Amino acid sequence: MMNGKEYIESLRGLNLEVYFFGQRIKSIVDEPMFQPHIHTAAMTYNLAHDPEHQEIMTATSHLTGERINRFTHIHQSIDDLVKKVRMMRLLGQKTGTCFQRCVGLDGLNAVYVTTYDIDQKHGTNYHERFKNYLLEVQKNDWMPSGAMTDARGDRSLRPSKQKYPDTYLHIKEKLEDGIIVSGMKAHITGAINSHEIITMPTRTMGEEDRDFALSFAIPADAKGVTYIFSRQTNDTRRLDGVLDGGNPKYGIVGGEAIIIFKDVFVPWERVFMAGEYEFTNELVETFAGYHRSNYGGCKVGLADVVIGGSNWIAEAHGIERASHIVDKLTEMIAMAETCWSCTLACSYEGYKTPSGAYHIHPLLANVTKLNITRMVYEWMRLAQDVAGGKIITLPSEKDLENPETMEILAECFAGKEGFPPRDIIKMLRLIENMSVGAGLPEAMHGAGSPAAQKIMIARRSGINKKMELAKIIAGIRKDKYFEDIIGKNETAHWDEVKKKIKGKKVQIY
Amino acid sequence: MPSIGLRYCGGCNPQIDRSKVIRKLEEGLKERGMELDFTTNRQSAVDLSLLINGCMHACLEEEYLMEGNSPQFISVKGEMVSSQYVKEEYIPEFLIKKFIDVLNFPPH
Repeated sequence: MMNGKEYIESLRGLNLEVYFFGQRIKSIVDEPMFQPHIHTAAMTYNLAHDPEHQEIMTATSHLTGERINRFTHIHQSIDDLVKKVRMMRLLGQKTGTCFQRCVGLDGLNAVYVTTYDIDQKHGTNYHERFKNYLLEVQKNDWMPSGAMTDARGDRSLRPSKQKYPDTYLHIKEKLEDGIIVSGMKAHITGAINSHEIITMPTRTMGEEDRDFALSFAIPADAKGVTYIFSRQTNDTRRLDGVLDGGNPKYGIVGGEAIIIFKDVFVPWERVFMAGEYEFTNELVETFAGYHRSNYGGCKVGLADVVIGGSNWIAEAHGIERASHIVDKLTEMIAMAETCWSCTLACSYEGYKTPSGAYHIHPLLANVTKLNITRMVYEWMRLAQDVAGGKIITLPSEKDLENPETMEILAECFAGKEGFPPRDIIKMLRLIENMSVGAGLPEAMHGAGSPAAQKIMIARRSGINKKMELAKIIAGIRKDKYFEDIIGKNETAHWDEVKKKIKGKKVQIY
Repeated sequence: MPSIGLRYCGGCNPQIDRSKVIRKLEEGLKERGMELDFTTNRQSAVDLSLLINGCMHACLEEEYLMEGNSPQFISVKGEMVSSQYVKEEYIPEFLIKKFIDVLNFPPH
């Protein structure tokens, strides 16, 4: 297993073609705009070496029996599912942002589950190929990015009917030794600081979209792959100094990029789906289920940080005992723990798939994520409320350090005794970073937008069974337990009751 | 006559109608002239246990395996039987085939 430093050094061995701000970035590792994301991903490596966290950060490989980083593990039990979300909360607490590596973890597990099922139906050998690939991932402790979302173009048209065929990643040609693919994947988390890319289809494909039913893995610097790194809220503050960024060490959200595949060759041994369109729904839903469950872990870890920060600011301002402040902080805690309860529940209610890997409870995972799309906004709103208007009017670090203005600003931002003004500004900047920036829409759309969760919730709700329950209670359908209790037919029972009422034989008359 | 120990999970939120599955199973067996002795008495010695879990989480299977009972069992886990996905309406038919395999019934 690599540690954080070794992970960063390992990225130097890759030669990615990355564009940002209109230029090709020569060294990913040395670029200040990228460094916070790299530090965050490095945390997933570093904590695996800390005896205080190894129990949840590492696992035993079911393929080799060796200790591996849990981010490369295939869940073998309910306990693994639970430890996975505990790991998410822990990393959220340690970084205050998205640590990126869970996408690849969910991709590994979803492809593992689905390739097994494809082979059962078609007699293919995708699962064996995938297990060989997984061995490499575990042995090298790689971080693969999980590339699912295509650019999608005109959503009313099928992938095969798009004006620009590269809107969706697809097979251009099948060769004896592999396939040639082209297309693009949008807003892929951690893409530029991953060793590998695992692709998955973005939606359910029909027969006409057979060439788009595609999953494979390639090195991140494979020939024909380019990246365009996306902007984030206040990103260039990283170039202004240390303080203004809010979380200069770990940044904001996951560092997303567009990945462009131009005539990329993928050898067959790294192809895990090539045309089996009837399994695209399973792959998408399995991945989405795993990924949506994570949000009840990582975002709650972030909530722990922002709740702690809000309480600290309240103390610094001398308002920590005000009843409305206590009430707001308690609301934040209750919402965060509600989301935590959801993710624990969907893990404890998980099940063993035919492949042997464990999957979360899909309905509860979607409920988890739907709650996140609402509650993160709500607890961040309360964080802004507690912090006060300063979070949007703070002066720059340069003014704080300018001899002309530094003294008056120190007076302006003085708080209670024992709370240095610079520390107060640091904390306010952190709350600004977490509650105003890109983290909010990320909580909304990451792992799928709310409508996607609602589709899956509706599909899996068992509404017909609920109607049957209501019909029994309402007396529309026979209630065998009630008849057991009263010892007779229900209709006869109510006829008797009615007679008693009519004859005033009921006690209260 | 082979005996089947029938065990249901608690049924907190089943994805399938467990009693309907068993009713249809018994009807299917009867149509094929296959006679099996079903019992819900946990103390009875049986040839095979049939675990009816309402969902894939399969609490009953977990409990059964921990008890260290007879290893011979078939587990219905919502729309999954043993380790295969099976739609609810096909579960009785699937079970009959399993019984034929496991109990060496002559196929009809």
